[in-house]
Amino acid sequence: MSKIVKLFKNNKKDKPPKAEIITEQKEPEPIPTTKCGKPLVLDNTRWEKRLQKELMSLIKEPPPGVSVDEDSVTRNLSQWKINITGFEGTLYEGENFQLLFKFNHKYPFDSPEVTFIGNNIPVHPHVYSNGHICLSILTEDWSPALSVQSVCLSIASMLSSCREKKRPPDNTLYVNTCNKNPKKTKWWYHDDSV
Amino acid sequence: MKVTIKSWMGVASWRWIANDENCGICRMSFESTCPECALPGDNCPLVWGVCTHCFHMHCIVKWLNLQTMNKQCPMCRQAWKFNFH
Repeated sequence: MSKIVKLFKNNKKDKPPKAEIITEQKEPEPIPTTKCGKPLVLDNTRWEKRLQKELMSLIKEPPPGVSVDEDSVTRNLSQWKINITGFEGTLYEGENFQLLFKFNHKYPFDSPEVTFIGNNIPVHPHVYSNGHICLSILTEDWSPALSVQSVCLSIASMLSSCREKKRPPDNTLYVNTCNKNPKKTKWWYHDDSV
Repeated sequence: MKVTIKSWMGVASWRWIANDENCGICRMSFESTCPECALPGDNCPLVWGVCTHCFHMHCIVKWLNLQTMNKQCPMCRQAWKFNFH
């Protein structure tokens, strides 16, 4: 780019050909860069574009049983509430649940913090009564190729495959001793069947 | 009618040949840059894994650097190995 600009500036002394006048453009604002051309400052607002895209597609084409509570989305997109409905033919048929998604500035390289909130926390062997969810993709198995939508679908499918409504065996102890943030819990994933 | 060409200007377009439209990490089009670059092209290249998945180089390197234990492809979780054609 810099070469082109230079050539153009040299040509300016001569009569510039018409075509060049048409292609004249404002120089982009210089961004501080490292030697290899990457921006020096990690600009995380640029990564917010991905969250924006995800939000738009969830609003426009929500998967079945999933809907974004649009009023709950904070201005910087760091928190969203998502309603999910139990699928027909499952133990949670017709029940409505609400998930709170919190994104930190490292998203999508770091997983979102996802918990059930509100009055109706599903009674499920992997869901604690404080809303914390034991699901490996929310911590160590997170991948930036996953998305809000795929997390919602994983949680919906986790509910759907449940055969008996019960709390995790260590619910009382966990709820009384855990950190507020479920990502701080060292989860022990031992049951893939539900 | 005889036409004399006094001057002409060549214009070319280019695109990456990838097996997908968007980068699976940043979700930006492969034709544009990763979120941390300003100009598309050789300075923000695509790279392929042996597993055939393709990402902006800056996106996959950022992800691999954040992983301490197993460096896996974000798409298929196979061990990530660069495929240098």
